[in-house]
Amino acid sequence: MVMFSASDFFNGTFWERLHGGSTHLPIALALTSAVLDGIGSLVPPGKIRENFRFSGYFTLLLAALGAVPAVISGLMLTHWDAFGSGVILLHHYFVWPSFALLVALAVWRSVVRHRPSKVGFSIYLIAVVTVAVGISIAGFWGGELLLNN
Amino acid sequence: MKTEVNALIAALLISVTVIGGLLGAARIVQSNTLKFPIRSAAESIASQNPKAAVGAKLFALNCARCHVGDVTGNANPTLNEITERETDQRIKFAILNGIKGEMPAFGKKLDENDAATLVVFIRSLPDKRRNLK
Repeated sequence: MVMFSASDFFNGTFWERLHGGSTHLPIALALTSAVLDGIGSLVPPGKIRENFRFSGYFTLLLAALGAVPAVISGLMLTHWDAFGSGVILLHHYFVWPSFALLVALAVWRSVVRHRPSKVGFSIYLIAVVTVAVGISIAGFWGGELLLNN
Repeated sequence: MKTEVNALIAALLISVTVIGGLLGAARIVQSNTLKFPIRSAAESIASQNPKAAVGAKLFALNCARCHVGDVTGNANPTLNEITERETDQRIKFAILNGIKGEMPAFGKKLDENDAATLVVFIRSLPDKRRNLK
């Protein structure tokens, strides 16, 4: 019988497990947000578009909030080495710009809410797709680190 | 349009503050991360060999979890023994490719130059066994 105690939970791999688990939330939500806003832009103006845009905004907000524990646990995992070298550096090259853009977009969208202009929202859409791609690439390199060590 | 520009300014300010704060905190915290024996070793050799001091930082971040701060390690053989009997090339190979069933590969995390820097640091350390005799 395998016994599992609290001390096992908080052992050396705690931050590894927390980071691995928590990073999936912002990745999934950023991708979902980009898809919802993309679909919302394709459907004719009306209630359905409003619903898609609201869902897109809400998922982006959750992605930004969910990215905070992911980033903090990642920093704990690397002993606060924000760059590193090799694959971890590659991982960080995508993490930091994506996180910065994610926070910026969440703030912008929260201030503008449902009143963005057509040009403003088009630029926003390009940016949110960039975040979704960037955060996914960061996740890919993170997975490479996990599987190869 | 004015709301959008104001929102953009707010977004940039908050984003820069969050990222800047995190990176700044990382820089401060990381400078205190090195475990004491490694830091004291790094400080004592930094004046003679700056490359070894960089290696000390890499060692603390990647190797100290298993090999422990005093570099005698909980792994056998000790690093002192390894530096005696292995060439730089073979130590670098072990760091980058691992040792099956004993040590993970760090080739995805560290590059050739990092491995060489680690070797310089390990070789610059005093032999702990001599102190025990």
